[in-house]
Amino acid sequence: MTFSPDDDFAAAEYALGTLEAGERAALVARRLREPDLDAAIRAWEARLSPLAEATPPLAPPTDFLPAIEARIHAVAPASDAVATLRRRLTRWRAAAIGATGIAAALAIGIVGREATRPAAPGEFVAVLQKSPDSPAFVATVNLARGELTVRPVAARPQAGKSYELWIIDPKLGAPRSLGVLDASAVTRNPRLSGYDRSVVEDATYAVTIEPEGGSSDGKPSGPPVFVGKLVPVEP
Amino acid sequence: MSSAEAAPAATEAKAASDDLARLLARVAARDTAAFAALYRATHAVLYGAVARILTRGDASGEALQEAYVRIWEKAGEFDPAKGSPLAWMATIARNRALDEVRRVRPVSLEEMPEGFEPAADTVDPLAARDRSERLAALIACLGNLEADKREAVLLAYYRGFSRDALAKRFAAPTATIKTWLRRSLMQLRDCLES
Repeated sequence: MTFSPDDDFAAAEYALGTLEAGERAALVARRLREPDLDAAIRAWEARLSPLAEATPPLAPPTDFLPAIEARIHAVAPASDAVATLRRRLTRWRAAAIGATGIAAALAIGIVGREATRPAAPGEFVAVLQKSPDSPAFVATVNLARGELTVRPVAARPQAGKSYELWIIDPKLGAPRSLGVLDASAVTRNPRLSGYDRSVVEDATYAVTIEPEGGSSDGKPSGPPVFVGKLVPVEP
Repeated sequence: MSSAEAAPAATEAKAASDDLARLLARVAARDTAAFAALYRATHAVLYGAVARILTRGDASGEALQEAYVRIWEKAGEFDPAKGSPLAWMATIARNRALDEVRRVRPVSLEEMPEGFEPAADTVDPLAARDRSERLAALIACLGNLEADKREAVLLAYYRGFSRDALAKRFAAPTATIKTWLRRSLMQLRDCLES
């Protein structure tokens, strides 16, 4: 894909902050797949960032440090939340085995393979599927890095359409986009780091079919085609 | 500004910036005491950045917390060649605030954050006491823009004004604002690279 002056202006407006919600979300989705655009956004952020250091200080109403430290320490391994998720994994495996079917076995195979990698505390997997016998995407979350990796299993690319991933949790209100998914390659997305650990762990992850490039208004256009919850990758 | 005045300010800014860079390096090595020191040294600037964009106090507090969690996670990615530690951190905070404000609704001119005078809604970077070399260069380039266009850039940067909000503010069509922004940004880039 060629990088145009319009793309550079979009990157500049992203850094300045003048893009509307849909444009901003679309650019965030594009930069994950377009290194030139990503580099242009970083360059514009660097050009304008001296203004940020000139921001007049304003004292916050309360001391947020304890709350921030609590969030950071929550990323440490072996918390109660992990134990809860382990139990959930056992239940999920039981459900998947109950459902039988080749694809359910395949999904467990994937979880198993993920588990054979060097132990990474805070790593979780969600199988995004319509039913136990049709896994479409496997999402891996590294809570320490706030990083989401989504790989397609049986998702078919659709002409003129995009798969878009959403995080759904009562604490968030409306579903929030985690970006457009590549149906034929691994998608890496850093956007989870903006969410609370408890939200990331408990949320439902859903995939919708959207116009090419993703939803234009920041809302899902239709019901999810695939859904899943996170389970921990066991050491 | 004379070079005689600028030199000590730039040196002080550099020393403060080096201190923050050292703290960030320790934070990258998971040093929680360094993280607390980094928070104490920078939180008022970062809160200033998010609270001018988000008009609700609770949203500003949330954005500030998310920004620092991100800073903790990404401290190892800080590259001193690309800017100062404070600029890097404040950019992370601004991006959190912008994501939030665009998600909810456009900035309302009527809703000012607490403690804000409407007259003070444009931040004047010229008032910054400690100027890094990069800030001095950017201020010089901003000085080349026409007054209205410079104000539009600063309202967008510091207050999170969208094109529509700027159109209202300057009583101009949104398309005109877009043209202004495009010319101003390209002019700034050319000036910074010259």
